[in-house]
Amino acid sequence: MAVTQATSDAHSVVGKRIPKLDAPDKVTGATVYADDMRIPGLLTAAIKRSPHAHARIVSIDVSKAEALPGVHAVIHAGNVTQRSFGYGHDNEPLKSRKVRCIGDEVAAVAAVDAEIAQQALDLIDVDYDLLPEVDDPHAAMLPGAPVIHEELDIEGNVSMRWDFETGDLAAAERDSAVIVEGTYSSPQAAPAPIETHVVIADFDPTGHLTVISPVHMVFMYRKELADCLGLDWQRITIKQPPVGGSFGGKIDIDTHDFITVLLAKAAQRPVKLALTREEEFIGARTRQPIHFKLRTGADADGNITFRDAEVVSDNGAYNAWGSHAMLVAMNTVTSLYQVPASRVRSAVVYTNKNYGGSVRGFGNPQATFAVEQQTEELADALGIDPIAFRLQNANTADSTTTQGLEITTCGLTECLEAVRDRSGWVERRGTQREKFRGLGAATYIHVGGGARIYGSDGCGAMIKIDDSGQVALISGSSELGQGSETVLAMIVAEEIGVPVDVVTVTNSDTDVKPWDVGVHASRTTFVAGNAARLAARGAKAKLLEAAAETLGIAAAELDIEDGMILRNGDRDTAVPYAKAIRRRLLREQSSIIMSSAFYDPPTEKQDEGFIGNISAAYGFGAHVAEVEVDPETGMIRVVGLWAAHDVGRAINPMSCEGQIEGGAVMGIGLALTEELPVQDGRFLAPNLHDYGMPTAADPPRIDVTLVETIDPEGPYGAKGIGEGGIILPPAAIANAVADAIGIRPREYPMRPWKVVDWIQRNETSTVVDQRTGEASA
Amino acid sequence: MTAAPVAAPAAEVFRPADVAEAVRFLADHPGAVPIAGGTDVMIDRRLGRLSTGWLVDISHLDTGGIVRDGDDLTIGATTTIRSIETSRELADTAPALVEAARVLGSVQIRNMATLGGNLCHATPSAEMPPPLLVFGSSAALAGPSGERSIDLADLATGPGTTSLAPGEMLVSVTAAVPDGIGSCYIRQTIRWAMDLAGAGVAASVETDGDTVTALRVGLGAVSPIPMLVPGLDDIAVGHVLDPDVLAEAAARARDACSPISDARGTADYRRHVVAVLTARAIRIAAARARGTWPIDRLAPPNGFDPEVLPGRENGPVR
Repeated sequence: MAVTQATSDAHSVVGKRIPKLDAPDKVTGATVYADDMRIPGLLTAAIKRSPHAHARIVSIDVSKAEALPGVHAVIHAGNVTQRSFGYGHDNEPLKSRKVRCIGDEVAAVAAVDAEIAQQALDLIDVDYDLLPEVDDPHAAMLPGAPVIHEELDIEGNVSMRWDFETGDLAAAERDSAVIVEGTYSSPQAAPAPIETHVVIADFDPTGHLTVISPVHMVFMYRKELADCLGLDWQRITIKQPPVGGSFGGKIDIDTHDFITVLLAKAAQRPVKLALTREEEFIGARTRQPIHFKLRTGADADGNITFRDAEVVSDNGAYNAWGSHAMLVAMNTVTSLYQVPASRVRSAVVYTNKNYGGSVRGFGNPQATFAVEQQTEELADALGIDPIAFRLQNANTADSTTTQGLEITTCGLTECLEAVRDRSGWVERRGTQREKFRGLGAATYIHVGGGARIYGSDGCGAMIKIDDSGQVALISGSSELGQGSETVLAMIVAEEIGVPVDVVTVTNSDTDVKPWDVGVHASRTTFVAGNAARLAARGAKAKLLEAAAETLGIAAAELDIEDGMILRNGDRDTAVPYAKAIRRRLLREQSSIIMSSAFYDPPTEKQDEGFIGNISAAYGFGAHVAEVEVDPETGMIRVVGLWAAHDVGRAINPMSCEGQIEGGAVMGIGLALTEELPVQDGRFLAPNLHDYGMPTAADPPRIDVTLVETIDPEGPYGAKGIGEGGIILPPAAIANAVADAIGIRPREYPMRPWKVVDWIQRNETSTVVDQRTGEASA
Repeated sequence: MTAAPVAAPAAEVFRPADVAEAVRFLADHPGAVPIAGGTDVMIDRRLGRLSTGWLVDISHLDTGGIVRDGDDLTIGATTTIRSIETSRELADTAPALVEAARVLGSVQIRNMATLGGNLCHATPSAEMPPPLLVFGSSAALAGPSGERSIDLADLATGPGTTSLAPGEMLVSVTAAVPDGIGSCYIRQTIRWAMDLAGAGVAASVETDGDTVTALRVGLGAVSPIPMLVPGLDDIAVGHVLDPDVLAEAAARARDACSPISDARGTADYRRHVVAVLTARAIRIAAARARGTWPIDRLAPPNGFDPEVLPGRENGPVR
């Protein structure tokens, strides 16, 4: 059940529960994904990957593979032109000297079918000289640890250090009545979309390259492709087919994208690469494990005094954009609740593992797991109800955090009150230990109005209205299952005054669509929505101008409601808007109705001291989870989940609920089951059977409350909600486990054998009461 | 490292008219593999674990369905897991079989998968063997030289291997289900559906008043083949099921198994959880034997039921 705390503004489309416009095609199997596409002459690609985590490549012999009938190209670092890529240029599509993780690409083939491609891979001989490997970031920082990138000028395998400090930490510590400290860790997990990565590359006879790929930062992708492979980016078209799920996994350009283009070039034929499910886990990007050593203090009145975090990211072998997840983690440490003094010392560390990408939540589930467990530990130590403690310290509207985040609207208090009341928190928390049941809460702050990490955080939109009256929105943004097409169509319909079913949304390829940074950071409704709204406003003005001319009435007297042009609100003399367009269009000296807009939110990049308002709005939310813990098998069942999210305005409440429920289920997976363990150089769970993604039987019924705060900058007041749902379950479930059995989870996923181990070791909080000097564990 | 092939190799399919013809064909074509639901065979072929030229489609063969005759309960090899899960007869007489069937794969899998496939694929973590073992089941095999019956415990010989002779196929399984026997199957998993067991435990209990007259415990996923825990008669028969007896039975189960460490748990944890589940399964089976377990209430998948079995008595405390 969902409750919308709705505002009374009257809209005809915005605020309606409209099923996703692309749903019928998807549920009937009619959608044509990249892997369904049939192109004459299409070759199948396959990649030869390293079975070793760290090794020098002594030699590669491809002669037998090249001789196999049906093989059209065999490539490796020695026979292609490629440059380094990645953040800090630490990666190569095909590895030339070393492999640094299992799955690293050393060669690739294009053949007439998958079987021959596979046979060709087996015929490639790679001679490796094994090197000592390191799979733990703390060990990687020690003197004498294996050096993973000897070509880079770095110490202790530390790729980047990001440090922030504000306020008087020493004084804050002295003023604290209680200080809680602890370590909190998260695992390597995977975005695991249903559709694996698929890339099709094709050069036409003039050398123009077309790439079909379900990525969602197409313009960045095109630039990086050109830079790395020495191509002319004006002669590249990126076509985006429907995306079969991404969860961030398809943001970055990746090794296999370059490799497919290199194969198409070498074979002079179109080439398709579709990663197998196993490759999707081993050879595509993951969610990076992050380790927190955190201390938080509070004074006797229940005010948070400081947070002090040492953060180590287990980055893996190379830097994808995911290395920047540490910046989001930093925001949560400094800016969730009012924290006067804070320090974050973070290191992004190379290890010989699959490397981290930009997965939904981007560092925030990991950070919130640490921060929000300490919130409840502190409240309990002070004898204050944890939700009351949170309400006392909550962020507020029209405030600025120490990192310069300018919070305009903030529904954190309303979210906390909603989940408190709907879950029965006050009466039930701490009362169910006999039944091994407990309640735990958590809240978040996350960007909700774009995130300026590039020069521009903008998105373009174009609208044309043709003789039929169809309104075509061509958005720079991308639909990847999050429902953006539906929300953008609703915004355009509302703004112009037409029914939503006359609006089509196109986000096809770089030849057609206007520039956009891409889909990330929960920004699409806010940024692409504002762009669409501006373009719609322009189109409406032209439409009314055309109507004014044909009707001989001043445009200022006209408006459009539900597709009818009204003069001063008079329905009796109303004219269908399409008729007005036809009169304008089907004559001599005609013109078409077209409008474009570009929206770049009023934000700034963070400075060298990590201060700056990176987002035009911030999203907030609160969850309460209820769990039942079997203390003997360690199996945990989530029996209740109450979620309240400040969405600014619910443009499509059904879509908001879907995002929140889907995120929460993914968060339950993170909390309890999802992990990519590697044992003795072998991935133990590189498939959907063993990986541990939740099924429909795992989550409880999720109770969603949408809190509307009507953001002044958001389209119709909306803020981003794409990532909110996933951030909280690990923290809320950990707190619920602590309430149920008195054990404090230090890491997730909370798999059964770990829970049994924690119980046996009696793992509890470490709280120092400064007033008595006593430490309790 | 290599990518998994995308499609199974081509195969020829023979569709026999009856069991006798199936067996003749199997005998004449070494390497031919019977296929019914295909939920294991097709995956094995796609992953290159099984490269047979001939598949013998036995899905349509009548192997008798589910029949109770006195204490004997016979289930045909081609009976689907879903039929076992939804059988009223089994829910009343052998709920352990229903409790095992309902957690196997998904509904779609259970609609296709058969009892014979689950037994003959000989996966160590298969759901159906532990409950059948605690009913002292026998397996009827048909072969080129006629039928024979073996103890079900002797069917699997190792992970993926069986004692079936060339040309032989499983026709049915017969369980001994005397009036008043109580049974239960529970397991530990990572998630709550679509998962293989980390440890699966079945128990059957027969009582005379409060005194135990028979106790069997079957284990899955914690040894190379599903197994019965030995030596339980010594400690239980003639005794009341008090906490000491339960703890001893749990300890024997723990000591008898030989689990491995993998993505579904460490060996140490699995031994621990076998002890926990053994005590729970016995208590639930005993409650059924005595008639104190609610009728029509299946055990929770892991047997953790604070409502019926008070929380702190769910199993032996470490």
